[in-house]
Amino acid sequence: MIRRSTCWRLAALLVAFSLLGAACSDDDDDGGGDDNGGEEAAGEEGGGGGGLLGEVQDRGTLRCGVNETVPGFGLVDEAGDYAGFDIEFCKAVAAAVLGDSEAVEYVSLDAETRFTALQAGDIDVLIRNTTFTATRDGTERSRFLTTTFYDGQGMMVRADSGYGSIADMDGTTICVLSGTTTELNLATAAAAAGIDYEPLTFDGADEIQDAFIAGQCQGWTSDKSQLAGVRSAFPDSEGGPEGLTILDETFSKEPLGPVVLDGDDEWAAAVDWAVIATIQAEEFGITTANVEDMTSSENLDILRFLGEPIPGEDPEAEATPFDPGLGLDADFAVNVISQVGNYGEIYDRTVGADSALELDRGLNAQYTDGGLIYAPPYR
Amino acid sequence: MATSTATSSRPPLWRDVRVLRVAFQLAVLVGVVAFASYLYDNLLANDVELDFGFLDQQAGIRLAYTDLHPSDTVQTAILTGLRSTITVALLGIVLTLVLGTLIGIARLSGNWMVRRVAGTYVEVLRNLPPLLAIVFVNAAALASLPPIQEANTIGDVLVVSVSEFGVVTLASDGNGWAYVAVLALAVVAAVALGAWRRRVEARTGAPARAWLWGGAVVLAAAVIGYVALSAPVVLSRPRVEGLSVVGGARMGLPFVAVLVGLVLYTSSHVAEIVRGSILAVPKGQTEAAAAVGLSPGQRLRHVVLPQAFRIATPPIINQCLNLTKNTSLGVAVAFAETMGVTNTVIGNGQPAIPAILVAMGLYLVLSLAISLVANVANHRLRLVER
Repeated sequence: MIRRSTCWRLAALLVAFSLLGAACSDDDDDGGGDDNGGEEAAGEEGGGGGGLLGEVQDRGTLRCGVNETVPGFGLVDEAGDYAGFDIEFCKAVAAAVLGDSEAVEYVSLDAETRFTALQAGDIDVLIRNTTFTATRDGTERSRFLTTTFYDGQGMMVRADSGYGSIADMDGTTICVLSGTTTELNLATAAAAAGIDYEPLTFDGADEIQDAFIAGQCQGWTSDKSQLAGVRSAFPDSEGGPEGLTILDETFSKEPLGPVVLDGDDEWAAAVDWAVIATIQAEEFGITTANVEDMTSSENLDILRFLGEPIPGEDPEAEATPFDPGLGLDADFAVNVISQVGNYGEIYDRTVGADSALELDRGLNAQYTDGGLIYAPPYR
Repeated sequence: MATSTATSSRPPLWRDVRVLRVAFQLAVLVGVVAFASYLYDNLLANDVELDFGFLDQQAGIRLAYTDLHPSDTVQTAILTGLRSTITVALLGIVLTLVLGTLIGIARLSGNWMVRRVAGTYVEVLRNLPPLLAIVFVNAAALASLPPIQEANTIGDVLVVSVSEFGVVTLASDGNGWAYVAVLALAVVAAVALGAWRRRVEARTGAPARAWLWGGAVVLAAAVIGYVALSAPVVLSRPRVEGLSVVGGARMGLPFVAVLVGLVLYTSSHVAEIVRGSILAVPKGQTEAAAAVGLSPGQRLRHVVLPQAFRIATPPIINQCLNLTKNTSLGVAVAFAETMGVTNTVIGNGQPAIPAILVAMGLYLVLSLAISLVANVANHRLRLVER
């Protein structure tokens, strides 16, 4: 009797262990598949492989990590829709990868959870005014792609406060958005100006606005683009946009752009070229309005870019569209431009001349106009 | 023969409670170990290393109302946050116990008005999430208090503004420690005197009046010491200088919002515990005390409260722990405590998982320390049952 029961126990334990072992090794296989998927699918047209590109195409929607509180860049409007500069690039990526700029599932993230969400695979791409820094590149397993907006940190104060530069702000309390490089830049700028200050670190821009209006802090520091967005929507009861001044000083370089997870080059390239397509389109003068006409252009560079068949050297051979091997449809740029627009159009309607923010192009002009926006050649 | 009947009467293995107990525990153990190793493997597979070297790197940040310098290490920054957590927790626990006890007793008051006000207080606050209490206090302050430039100074002892508060404190004037030593000696003397008076009472029946004698000794020592050491302590009065409070104890609005919010919330729970514990003392005890001729006050002080206190201690320890852990909600109002600083540090490029593990460890140690102190106290107060 006793011997039999011991046998039973041993057998049960063995079964339990082997089940567990099987479960664990299954997981390992899946993990390996993800890592190798990029190479396997790289040559295939239209994806369907094991990488994130294939996964997104199979799923049919793009999960885009965004901000929902910054006017002009990422904001949920009165109708409950996401709108803004970053949102437009989510749409551009969806148009390039899926052919439908509306096939986006937006995931609102705060500054602290954005990389965690990316690492956990909750989002496919992070387009949330995220600054490209060495540490983030090195430790967050993130890959920063083409910069969409060259920003810099600034300080906003009340217009009647009398502060003309950060050096005047000794002893003040300054509101900072948490979990950003903003805190580090502020500490450096304050040390350089030789001032003493108290930083109040908040989780969200709305909380800062309440604190700022009540007078809990005298300064509000963030990227200038964000400050311009907040200023444009500042309540009239508090003096409206005219009641606020953004100081001239810029105390950091803040290149903002899309971020994807390290290790999936195919996906990184797909997202990258969706962004580059908007920039290239502006350089070529292709807009939402004229993209159809441009497909019958005389310019071979434009035809190649729009995925039109290119006549080869041999007049007998059938003309085929140019395929750079990105795993995207040959006419992905047409989808991006017709459904979203070129870089200049996106800029103007979200943050530029046609928006409430009225930001100049500045560093974000095409390189031909003295800016830093520059598309690598599409060939 | 006897053994064989015993064996045959044993239930089959899968219903034998002794076997099942062991098997279940083994299964749980295997499950826990397997899950932990699965998580760890996942971390490694995702190139997340549990490296704590980041603690020695420069934090590069400042924290409001602390003396943290940007050149200090991440470790110093997190410990500065921990200090804020401990300060608000200890102060909060003391205030909560006082307020909670008062309101708990008020709920049993014979006065209709007092009873109803206390009851409303408890029912409203006990049914709110603590986060709401903190955010509400903060929002109320933002909406109603003046900016620091127009701060209210109340009788030179309290400065109130939307960004900072100042409270008058005692400050040492050179001989401060000597004065503290004198007072400590006086307290020791008072305790000894009280013990002697009690022995006298036991021997002769003359009333002890231990508190009266002891109080007189301490008061005399305080006055004589103050004069002899030529005013060793002075009042440090708060005042506004520029945009900040100088002198006294300087507190930011985030600290005050967390403290007040948590004290309001937790004291409503403590009040219910106090009320329940008093009601839990059997009625016969009060009646017996009345029968031996004790006055209502004496009944409460010598019979009911000592017993109620013992019943109340364990759940009140729980509330103290809750208050301590709830301080992490201060993130919502920009209070730079352990969790807030950890978030900030992570946002500035330090690895998330090790940093969160550090914060978890600190909260664990803090909670265990409070539990330990409280449990020792509870053990010593417990009734020895015979």
